[in-house]
Order: sequence, then structure tokens, then C-alpha cells
Amino acid sequence: MTPELDRRRFLKLAGATAVIAACGGAPAASSPSPSTAASATASLAPKATGRISIYSALNESTNNQLFAAFTKATGVEVAALPLAAAGDLQTKITAEKNNPQADIFVGGSSEFHDPLGKQGLLEAYQSPNAKDVQAQFKEASGLWTGWYTGIFGFISNTDRLNKDIGGKKPATWDDLLDPVWKQRLILPDPIKTGGGYIFIATQIFRFGKDETKAMDFMKKLHPNILSYGATSPGVITSISNGEAAGAPNWSHDILTEKAKDPNRVDLTVPTDTGFEVGAVSIVKGTKNLLGAQAFVDWVLTKEAGDLNTKLSNRGSVRTDVAPAPGAPTLTSVKLVNYDRQWATDNKTRIQKLWQAAVGIQ
Amino acid sequence: MRSLQREPALLLALLAVTALVLTFIVYPQLQVVLTPGPGGYVQFFQEGTWITPLRNSIQLTLLSTTTAVLLGFIYAYAMVYSNMRWKPFFRLVGILPLLSPPFVVAAAYTLLFGARGVISYGVFGQSPNIYGLNGVWGVQTIAFFPFAYQLIADALSRSDPRMEQAAHNLGAGSWRVFRTVTLPLSRPGLGAAILTTAIYILEDFGNPQLIGGTFYVLPTQAYSLISSFGEYTSAAAVSTILLLLALGLYLAKVRLDGGRSFVTISGRASSMPRPPVSAAVSRACFVACLALAGIILLVYGALLVSALTLRFPNNLQVTAEHFQYVLSGTNGDALRNTLVFSGVAAAFSAVFALFAGWLVQRGRWPGRGALDLLLILPAAIPGIFFGLGYLVAFNQKWLDFVDRGWLIIIAFVFWNIPVGYQAAVAGLRQIDRSIDEAATSLGASSLRGFRDVILPMLGGSLRVGFVTTFVRAVTTLSLVIFLFTPPTTVATIRIYQLVGDLNWGAATAYTVSDISMAIIALLIFALLARGRIALGAARA
Amino acid sequence: MPETAHVRVSHVTKRFGGVTAVDDVSFEVPKGSFATLLGPSGCGKTTTLRMIAGFYDPDLGDIEIAGHRVNNLPVHRRGTAMVFQDYALFPHMTVRDNVAYGLKVARVSGADRTKRVDETLAFVGLGGLGDRWPNQLSGGQQQRVAVARALVIEPQVLLLDEPLSNLDAKLREQLRVEMRILQRRLGMTFVYVTHDQEEALSLSDWIAVMNAGKVEQAGAPWEIYYHPRTAFLADFVGAVNLVPAKVTDLADGTATVSFGRHRAEVRRPEATLNTGQDVQLCVRPESFTIAPEGAATSGISLPGTIVRRAFLGDTMRYWVKVDDREWIVDQPDPGGSATLDGPVSLSLRPDRVHVIVE
Repeated sequence: MTPELDRRRFLKLAGATAVIAACGGAPAASSPSPSTAASATASLAPKATGRISIYSALNESTNNQLFAAFTKATGVEVAALPLAAAGDLQTKITAEKNNPQADIFVGGSSEFHDPLGKQGLLEAYQSPNAKDVQAQFKEASGLWTGWYTGIFGFISNTDRLNKDIGGKKPATWDDLLDPVWKQRLILPDPIKTGGGYIFIATQIFRFGKDETKAMDFMKKLHPNILSYGATSPGVITSISNGEAAGAPNWSHDILTEKAKDPNRVDLTVPTDTGFEVGAVSIVKGTKNLLGAQAFVDWVLTKEAGDLNTKLSNRGSVRTDVAPAPGAPTLTSVKLVNYDRQWATDNKTRIQKLWQAAVGIQ
Repeated sequence: MRSLQREPALLLALLAVTALVLTFIVYPQLQVVLTPGPGGYVQFFQEGTWITPLRNSIQLTLLSTTTAVLLGFIYAYAMVYSNMRWKPFFRLVGILPLLSPPFVVAAAYTLLFGARGVISYGVFGQSPNIYGLNGVWGVQTIAFFPFAYQLIADALSRSDPRMEQAAHNLGAGSWRVFRTVTLPLSRPGLGAAILTTAIYILEDFGNPQLIGGTFYVLPTQAYSLISSFGEYTSAAAVSTILLLLALGLYLAKVRLDGGRSFVTISGRASSMPRPPVSAAVSRACFVACLALAGIILLVYGALLVSALTLRFPNNLQVTAEHFQYVLSGTNGDALRNTLVFSGVAAAFSAVFALFAGWLVQRGRWPGRGALDLLLILPAAIPGIFFGLGYLVAFNQKWLDFVDRGWLIIIAFVFWNIPVGYQAAVAGLRQIDRSIDEAATSLGASSLRGFRDVILPMLGGSLRVGFVTTFVRAVTTLSLVIFLFTPPTTVATIRIYQLVGDLNWGAATAYTVSDISMAIIALLIFALLARGRIALGAARA
Repeated sequence: MPETAHVRVSHVTKRFGGVTAVDDVSFEVPKGSFATLLGPSGCGKTTTLRMIAGFYDPDLGDIEIAGHRVNNLPVHRRGTAMVFQDYALFPHMTVRDNVAYGLKVARVSGADRTKRVDETLAFVGLGGLGDRWPNQLSGGQQQRVAVARALVIEPQVLLLDEPLSNLDAKLREQLRVEMRILQRRLGMTFVYVTHDQEEALSLSDWIAVMNAGKVEQAGAPWEIYYHPRTAFLADFVGAVNLVPAKVTDLADGTATVSFGRHRAEVRRPEATLNTGQDVQLCVRPESFTIAPEGAATSGISLPGTIVRRAFLGDTMRYWVKVDDREWIVDQPDPGGSATLDGPVSLSLRPDRVHVIVE
């Protein structure tokens, strides 16, 4: 009797080897059908071609049309990897640093782009279209550039607002301390969501960086809060469903919800509110630098800004892009002096302070 | 040890298994664990943000495991022992919660039982606050009792009817037989079931994320650290804590087992039926299962309605547009990817887990204990870190020619090894060694004996491994979040993206399609495996 | 008679943890013989058998089969086949597939395989049951399948681990006979393990009696029965009277021993003896003639009183008190005549007294 390698086992080993040796193609593009390369921009610089891989934190409904427009304008094709949570994309880019897969990181507040820049994972690029962008909206050396803004507002369920709150929308954040709001507010969870944390940070900046006063505010607000939502968008749905009367949230998302049924929900922007700057950056190690740069250039154009506003109701850093109807702008509302760096650096400490203040341990 | 030297093929197989385990379980996780570096760990632990989530995780796991196992036990007992009617129906319903992607089902609970829930508010006029510990506890109990049920049913069905008949014969009533004979004999399998359920609950993040409110647990903390704040380093530290907890659970399980083996399938065949269960008990079982099934059907009914209406629960106009959207173009691709990746991974995983289980259980070679631990380990690692580890470890230029789909498949395979492995170990424990020995005595090498004799006898374990891997692969989001690329998108990613976009109609339509597809696949599998889905089925 | 050692066990020792299960055991099994390892539970017989099979590795010593040292050969290449105590039939295969398994592994062709399987099944009396499943068979039938399965591959040595111990007495007796006939017909070397001394005596050409890991004595059955070397052996195999005695006189070939008030001249054992030495006398119960008191006696005469009796079917067993000692006395074929009672007279042939020197 001879020793025999069990045939099945052999096949399994062979299979495992085949896995390694599998000659699969590189990920194919999932962009919409190839559009005509209609790039008519006369330029002495070398023309951008080919395809770029975009990690996008923008909404699903925004992505498709935005990228299609870009391809139409430049002829550069797009393979998009959408993940609505910018933190996921930031982490993915960090994890891929040995073999970068992305060319562009677009969307998400600059708080997510900035650390990548500091870690040397971004490619600096001063787009000619960025020269009119305010200094506070871009990174000095061009590691990231802001191109849209999001302002923190307040969504209210019209029905419940009228029935329970007497129809009075909050003009300031302090208005929410009113006992009439008891157990009728939802706040995005400050531990789980960026929006929730920005709300707390906004309060701190509102009180001139006096943390004690801010925590006092949050503590007084706590009994009015029915629940802390797991995601910012989820909170909007909850209000729309009438689970509570109102919630602080992103104005642009509130407008999108309102468009579905204007009689259901409404938007107000209390004074002394916070905002975010949505950014775009080129990933270091990109295989198509020209294409990536073309994207940055394009996203800073009026065309792109208008389209983005139309699709998502977000504001633009360009002054010549009209805001969405009913949307607040950086000049139309009173903003706090939001120190982005400070907010990022002190996040953990502030979150703990908040937990202690409201007694969640 | 010498037995290995005498059979080079066996030694080779063992080395291959070990190599695969080291490459695809240990190496990627090391990448994650080592990321923070000592300084990072020190800083993280000093900040102390992990204390509350840790305490909450432990509390929640204890509570949810207890109730999930209890319900799973009742269901398993009813399916295996009682003579209640409608068993195929209950079997099917018992699968449904297994097939749920995260987020959306928890949302269904909100829709039904939340502050403005269709049931809670619409029917009873109540506005319960379902967020927080109680909410998650309830949701996890319903979500995880099918896992417990499946494993427990498998263990129960392996107990030798002869023992029970003997006890019955000596005058013991059904309850006493069950308590003093069946339960103790099934202890290894029950122990494994409880442990596995506990670990799944420990690393569950979808449900606490949506319903937990301010009741933070470790997985939600880790997820938030990454998604909302991009703090990968701190998140990796949280993953390490989770790993340590799971290790603790594993060691507890080893103590619980006591290393005893309860051989009940010997070469002496028996054709004895089980002792009868009283009609009253069967009726009680029926009622209990009906209640559980009712809750489950309600939840999935809500999903279906949401998928078919414009804007549930406000606008109940029936429409097919969500399904049209879901099944068109690249969306359909995601469904196909899910099916293919999950199916292939399930097949690989089940067989590999069985083979590894045999090597560890039956072998007498040094380092067995270590391999045993490594094979259970993936259950303790949250999907998000498992996937992340793979990305960091295998996103290398020289591997670029490998299609990313394979990376996802391999991740599915190894992340789900523990269940198939545990099922194999439990099954093997109940097969007398003389069966292996008889095969080798007749001239078959160890590997040959495994294939001809052991493998067919462990059909039940194989099915458990396959089905569980399949459903977990179909429903996991966190594992694939960092691994997917546009052409290798899977259904759960699409659901996640749609939910992020607040497109509930499409998200639920996707979920319903995903679940339906999975059910059809399982039914086909059951047909091929001769009419028995692995859940709660008796042994081969 | 073929004398070549087919299985040779040389100075084999096996330890499990702190326990020495097999302690420096050596023996040889001639080719074609029916060899039995006999002993009480825990004596090491099964361990030894499993070492021959290859399931255990000896810590010390060698095992040879047909002249080849097999220590480094895996189980499936040793040319042995084992019949297990609980049969170990494969529950997911029919009887036919069970029996055919070894042939399949050896890549015997289909037609050839079927022929041999059918032949062997008929050989063990199971013809026609090929399509049954193991759980549809009785214990005896399952045992026969186990034997058929091992035989069909024509191993060099068949190893049997207490194969009959799970069967009832009648079946055991019947199968015992069949097994002996089988072995004779095939001329195959059998190594058999049992704790049942009756089984061992009736089946074997050669027995090794083991105790606490050592071989106490090995040889032909009657050797062990009539000339046991130790008191343990005498007691283990068959019923026995063990009587302490003293050597009073020694001569060439005979020794005179005294026990109680009696004295006898018996065959001198091979061991060294000195006058005045304490020995044990081993007397089998059937060595006596029992008659009512006062009847004529021959040989050593022992008057005594019947204390109790037991009817064993073919024998009447008496316990006879002689002086201060109870002797076990068997009366073969008691017939229907009145049983003896009260004072009796025992006659013992001196050549049936065996001296044990320890």
C-alpha cells in the first residue's frame, strides 16, 4: 500500500494556490457608460486623460450626476467608491498608504482631510481655481481645498411643532432649553456622529471657549432630549416620522427632506451656529496626477458648484454660486468663531466632559 | 508526534492548514493590533474612554446571551424533541433573522415599536423609548436566538436515543430524562453554542448602533472612532480590548467543557427512536414558537411593506419603483456579487473548518491547543477590524494582479471559520475513535479515512458551517467596508450607502431582495443536501 | 509445524503519564497460530495489541511482523487488520460497503471486489444481508460483519480486541467455535485479546497471560492450565485449590511435601527447591475422586465433610472441608443419582499435584 496524498486535499491545496495565482483583472470602472470625450478646453498644458478613482463621501444621489458632469467636461472617466461616512474613507486611505488605490478624496469636512495631509498622505496642489477661495477654506500648501459649506441648522416637524410647541421655532440655541421642548428633541449622538460633536463644539465657541458654561448648557438641554440619534441623517428621518418635534442637523440635508414634502418639516437656522467646510484632496501616489488635478480644478468651478448645490442643497465657497432656495449662507446667518483645529485636538476630552455633565457613565 | 512523521501527507496537510491560518488570521490581525504602538495604547488607556463601553459591553452580552440562548433552547427543544406541528414553517422563520443585514432591520423595529411605531403608537397609542439598553437587549435577543437555536439543535440531535430510552425505561419522566441525561451529554455542544452566541453578541455593532442610544458598547465606540472621527489608532486599541474579552470567553468555555468527551456515536449502530414527549409539552412548544415566529414575521413584514410603498409609514401608496431601482444596472451586480462571494466562501469555509477540526480534535501533536485557539479567534474580532487588517496586510503592489473579489472571499472564509470549526469539534467528540481506527486498520491513510468515513458522518456539521458562513457573509457590512471596490460591491454596502442617503424605500427593497435571494440559495442547497437545511436537523 | 515467528514483540515498554501499562514484554507468535493475550482489566493486553496494530508507539522495544520491524510504519501499512470490541462499523455504509471498504482502498477492481465481498459474507454466514444497514443488524451479525470486513483484505495478521465480550453466552460459545474453524481454515495468524479464560483456553494454540503490564507465563493452553508458574496464574485460569505446603524431602524427579496432617510425594518442579522451603500446591478440582465416607481410596486420601455444593450442569461442584481447609472438588457427570452429602472420602492422584515456587 503506497502512501497517497488524498486527492481531495490536493485539490484544496491546488485551489488555494490558484487563488493566489488567479489572474483577475484590475477593478473595472463602474462609471456610467463611456461618454464622448468632449473636452474642448484649449490649453497649452498636457491634457488630462484616462480614468481616476474617487473616494467620495458625498450623497449617493450627488455622486452619479456630479461625476458624469465631470467626465463630460473633461473626458476623464471616473471609478467611484462612495462611502457616506468620511471617517471610513479617511481610514481606508490611511490603511492603503503602502499601495494607494485612490486618486481623489472628495467630500467630508476638512477635519478628515487635514490629518491625512499632516501624515504626508496627500499630494499638494494649488489649483488656479482656488485663488479666489478664502484662506480659511483651504490648506495653505494646497494639501486640501474646501469647495462647499454646510451650515448647522434645525429641523422641525411642522405638525408636532404646532401641536406641542405652539409653532414657535427656535431663534437661538438657548430657546431649546425651554421646558416646552421637554422630551421633544432629538440630537445626533455626540459620541457616534460628527454632527453631534460639532453641535457641542459650537456651544463651546458660542460661549467664547468657556467649557463650563457650555457643559452647563448641555446639561440643561439633556432632559429635553428624547433620544440621541445614531446617525445624523437618521435623525432627520425620525423627525420626519414625527418621533420628536425637532432636532439640530445639517441644513442641506434638512432642505432635501423638506423637498420631499414641504408641509411635513421645516428648516430654521438659529443664530450663533457652526458650519463645516467640505474638502477635496489628491491622494499621494496617485496614478493619474493630471486627471486628479483636473478634477480638483473642475470641482472648484461654478458649474460644479451649481450642480452640487442643486443636487444636495449645500453651499459653495464660491461667491458666484447661488445658494439653494431657502438655504442659509455664510453671510446670511451669524456663525460662531469655529476653531476647527481646537475642536479636533480636544475632541476626546470634550466628549468625556459632556458624558460626565449629562450623567451618562 | 511520531504518527505525523509516519504519514508525510498528513504532516503536509497540517502544515498547509497552519500556514493558511497564520497567513489569513494571524498576520492581518497583527497589523491591526500593532498599529497604535505602545505609545498609542498608553495614551488611549489613560484617556479612559473605554471604561464605560467595556462595562456596557459586558453587561449587554450577559443579558442578551442569556435570553437569546434561552429562546434558542426552547426553539431547539421544540424542533428536535417535541411533536408539534408546522415544523418546516418554524424552521424557515427561524432562519429569517439570520439573513438580516445590519441597520435596516433595527430600523424596522423602530418603525414598529418606536415612539411613533406602527404597533406601539398606531395600535396601542404608546410612545415607548426603545433606545438604550432595554431596546438593544430586546433586539439582540430576537436577532441572535436563531444562532443559538441552530447550534443547540445540532448538539441536542446528536445525543444518543439509547441513553434516553434507558433512562426512560428506568422510570424517569421526560423532564427528568432531559435534565439528567440529554443535557449533560450535550454539554460540549451546548457550551460551544453559548460561547459562540456570546461572542457574536459581543461584537455586534449594527443593533447597538441604531437602537443603543447613549448606551455605548465597544463595537459602536470603535466604529464611531473610525467613521465619524477617523481615529484609526484608538479604534485599533478598542479592537484589542474586544479580542481580550473574547479570549476570556474562550477560556471559560474550555473550563466548562472540562475536556470531557461524551461519545455517543460508536460503531455499534442503533435504530432506536427517542422517548415520546407528552402532548402538553408539544402544545406548549407550539405556542412558544408561534409567538416567536409572530414577532419575526411582523418585523419582516414591515420591511416588505416599506419596500413596496413610496414612503412607509407615511405614504402607503404601493409602488414597484424601489425594486426596479434595486434590480437595475450595477445594483443588480451587487446582488450577484453577494451570492457568488458568499456561496464560494461558504463552501470553502465549511470544508476547511471541518478538516481543521478533525486535525485538532483527533491529532496528538504539539501545538494543537494553539491552533485550536487561533481557529476560534476570528469570532472575537469585529468585522471592521478583520477587514481592515486584510486591507493593510494584502494591499501590496505585488498582489495587485489578484482580483479583489478573492480578497473578500478569503476574508469571508476565515472570518467565519469558528462556527464550522466548533460544529465539527462538537460532532467529532461524539464519534468514537474506533471508527477512525477501523478505517486505518483496513488500509486507509489518515487523510483517506477522514474523507471516506469522518466527512460523511459529519454532514450535519458541514451543513451548519456552510449555512452559517453563507448567511453571515450575505449580511456582513463591517467586514467588507474597507475591502470592496466598485466592481466588487456587495448588497450590504449598497444598503449602507442607500441608508446613508435616507433612501429607505430602496434600502428596504434591497434588503428584501437580498434576503429572498439568500433563502432561494439555501433552499437549493437543502435540496442538494437531500432535503434538510442545517438548522436543527438531525445528524446524517 | 511452522515455527517462524510471525509476530515478534521484543522488550516493549509503554508508559502513559506516570503509569507503566506495558513493562518489558517479549513474546513471539508463530505463523498461522491462534495466539491469545489473556489477563484481567488493566493488565496491558489491549495496549500491547494496539501497539502491534500501530495505534500506540512503544516507548522502548521493537515490534516485528513477518520479519520486518514495523515501529516506524503507520497503521495502514502494517499488514494487520483489527476487529474492535464495539465493531466500529461505518454507520453511513451498508454491510456490503463496509466489507468492501478495505478492498476499495487497496484499489481492487469492481468485479473482483464484489466477488470477494460476497464470498466473505457467505463465509461468515451473512450471505444475503449485504444491503442492510448496520443499525438493522443484531449484535452477533454486526460482529460478523466486523470480522468479514477485516478478513476480506487478507491481512498478514488479524488482531481481535475482545470481539465477543458484548454478546450473550450462547452466542459467544457459538461464535467461538466458528472463529476457531475460520482461523484453522484460513491458516491466518490471529492475535486475540480477552479476559475470559474459558475463551482463551478453548480458542488458542498459544496463550500469554498478562498481569500488571508483564507477561506472567506464555505457552500452550494446557501448559498454563496444568503447570502454572505462579499462584496468580493458577487462580486466574480455571478454578483451583491453592494449598500452602512445606518441602520435607527431595529426590531425583520427586519431592515430598507436607500439608496439614497429610503428606504426598509429587512431581518435582524445575525451579530450585530446598528442603524445608515453603511452596504452594496447585490442585485442580477435577483431580479428585469423591466417594461417600468409608469407600476405598487411592493415591492421597483426604477425608472430609461436604460444606456446600453447586450444580454446574455437566459437573457437580462440592466444597469439602478437610481439617481446617475447604477444598473445591468437581464431580463430572453426576447423572441423576442422589447427590453426596455429609462426610466423604477424597482420592487425589499425586501426579495431579503441581508445585508452585514463587
